[in-house]
Amino acid sequence: MMQPVTESPNGKGILVIGGGIAGMTAAIEAAETGCDVVLVEKAPYLGGRVSRINQYFPKLCPPTCGLEINFKRIKNNARITVLSQAEVAEVTGTPGDYRVTVKVSPRFVTDACTLCGQCAEVCPAERPDEYNMGLGTTKAAYLPYAMAFPAAYAIDRAACKEGCTACAEACAYGAVDLAQEPEEKVFEVASVVAATGWTPYDANKIDNLGFGRYPNVVTNVIMERLAAPNGPTAGKILRPSDQAQPKSVAFVQCAGSRDENHLPYCSAVCCAASLKQATYVKAMDPAAEAVIFYIDIRTPGRLEDFRTKVVEEQGVELVKGKVAKVEEDPVTHDLLVTAEDVLGGRKVTRRFHMVVLATGIVPNTDGLPAGFTLDEFRFIAAPEGKTGLYGAGCVRRPEEVSATVQDATGAALKAYQCVVRSAHHG
Amino acid sequence: MAEAMTIRPDVGFIKDVLKSGGGDLKKCYQCATCSVVCNLSPEQSPFPRKQMIEAQWGLKDRLLADPAIWLCHNCGDCTSRCPRGAKPGEVMGALRNQAIQHFAAPGFLGRAVSSPKTWPLLFVPGALVFGALALWAPKEVTEPREFANVFPLHVLEPLFFLISGLVLLAFAVGLARFVKALRSAGANGAILAGLIPAFVEILAHKRFKECGKEKNRYWGHLLTLWGFAGLAFMGTVVGIGSMVGIMHTPLPFWDPAMPVESILKLFANACAAVILVGGLILLGDRVLNEEKRRTTTYFDWFFLLTIVGVVFTGILSEVLRLGEAVTAMYAIYFVHLVLIFALFVYAPYSKFAHMLYRTVAMAAMGKR
Repeated sequence: MMQPVTESPNGKGILVIGGGIAGMTAAIEAAETGCDVVLVEKAPYLGGRVSRINQYFPKLCPPTCGLEINFKRIKNNARITVLSQAEVAEVTGTPGDYRVTVKVSPRFVTDACTLCGQCAEVCPAERPDEYNMGLGTTKAAYLPYAMAFPAAYAIDRAACKEGCTACAEACAYGAVDLAQEPEEKVFEVASVVAATGWTPYDANKIDNLGFGRYPNVVTNVIMERLAAPNGPTAGKILRPSDQAQPKSVAFVQCAGSRDENHLPYCSAVCCAASLKQATYVKAMDPAAEAVIFYIDIRTPGRLEDFRTKVVEEQGVELVKGKVAKVEEDPVTHDLLVTAEDVLGGRKVTRRFHMVVLATGIVPNTDGLPAGFTLDEFRFIAAPEGKTGLYGAGCVRRPEEVSATVQDATGAALKAYQCVVRSAHHG
Repeated sequence: MAEAMTIRPDVGFIKDVLKSGGGDLKKCYQCATCSVVCNLSPEQSPFPRKQMIEAQWGLKDRLLADPAIWLCHNCGDCTSRCPRGAKPGEVMGALRNQAIQHFAAPGFLGRAVSSPKTWPLLFVPGALVFGALALWAPKEVTEPREFANVFPLHVLEPLFFLISGLVLLAFAVGLARFVKALRSAGANGAILAGLIPAFVEILAHKRFKECGKEKNRYWGHLLTLWGFAGLAFMGTVVGIGSMVGIMHTPLPFWDPAMPVESILKLFANACAAVILVGGLILLGDRVLNEEKRRTTTYFDWFFLLTIVGVVFTGILSEVLRLGEAVTAMYAIYFVHLVLIFALFVYAPYSKFAHMLYRTVAMAAMGKR
């Protein structure tokens, strides 16, 4: 079993909460300076939201290669301890000298797992596929996704049938251990980095846009899963009502963001994300219509060129005017989208096969250990005075993947400074 | 879009809009949610998104000549859906307030009536007139318990006809200015021909019905308008009848020998009750709803409270008269007269005027 980190030659270590792109980056960058790092991830896998993306903008390449490099850096670095299905229960102490209590839930599958899949084969129970935004189901014995790290199946005991041990009996390697118990571990570290990421804004709350009522209104995060080759439709964008390929897709910007009634702030990534997703639609069928309804298209810096390219080369249409009404044709399940075309000065109602709501970023700060200060929008605020608690990535502010990686690298440096100070004073 | 346009912001106008209920105007970032959620906003020239930016830019002439500001019936859907809290519904109300002041003749009365600072003064002329009337006018004591004992009809009636004449004149000037502005802004519907369909639409309250959020406003406004129309008709008939000597007030509640008078009396009382119910619905709406209470301006309160006050004191005077509470009945009737005076004399300058401006704007817009 993994041992709690104590004093290392370079002082105490660092604990990182969250194993998405921000947490992995902070953990790796800190460990590669020579300090010990504990990486605590709630899910049974690392990679978080980035692993669910089909392509990055603006390069339009899949996230797999970047994730693979990071997994390899973690695997090859003995200083990083990865705890999956683990949550931080408490942080006490002062900068340079924190005591962190971590609760680790059992995976019920040991390192002996070879990914043969026999457990899932025989498993009689199903669970909603959380990884695919609930678009399908998996067995209760499941591999979160093809390149999941740690590379082992997991068993969702809450979904198991009463008294069932089929998986344990089927496993030829004795890797299924249904007797595993939850554990509590305590770590003494110099600094804690929270990289708990974000959750998409609940589109059900935007009652005029039809999500949850009309099957063909989806969110941008669902669109990523529909377009991803390892997603529920194997990378074919099919609309939910009839699994047909949509010939017209409307993208509704600021679905909840920049809105006092929902999220008052700009979520920063949705404009470029919708431009990117419009290219998915065009790649599938160049004759398909992709229309982005916007208040302002916010594509700063290099994203400006991306926008120009998508609009001019791919024929994606931009309409200035926020969509405030989505209705459904009950027969075809097509959607009637109404906006004021501000530049044309009239109201337009257009029919689409599918509508994608560009929902925004809600920081995962509920349940964060005491000591972190939050700003007015519940993101982790910039630290004031002496601290050893830092935020990294989207829990700190809405940002794209590349900015998140830079942010996490910066957080690793700040955390490392605490380590060095603790070595001198300890 | 093609031709170049020089923007000359009228900064004073922006400030006036901000002060008269449109205080959150500057928060608007032009997303156009408002134009979509508004059930009354037409496809080809949606509002209020465009009016919001015009107001931010201080385009006074353009806005005051824009019939769209009168097509808005202030249901508040845009305000509750606005992602910025810019309250487009309140801005439209402020623009209507500005339009009434702008077109009013004489202009100083427009400014005085809309300013919260002057409100107690607004009741002084009425109080002086009716005070003088009570003290010095020669009385014609006919029978006891008649208001005419203190406020003689032979003075009251010509006085109110004179006031009505002046008010109509002021309205005529204001409306003439408004129509001229509408024409110059390109609203070229035939106004006279459009009046009939506009009346029908207004009496049926079709637009109020389409207004999304607040259903009780439909009933509140409908009852107030119908009751008011009924009383205006009654007042005119009885006023003329009594001036030419074929009617004598107070009309009897029920007298088989005077069936016409009895019916008129019944009708008038019914109208008063209807306005009171409608007015209280509208008042309750603004008092009980915290959001509405905060956004209700002095301009709204003055009109609404005056009209409710007129009806309330009217009914109370009648009750006191029937109850033979002589002193109280004259006192309340005095208040009633002062309030009526304020309602009528300031009609062209207060929110009262929306009745005429909206009708003309709807007529000028032609059929939807």
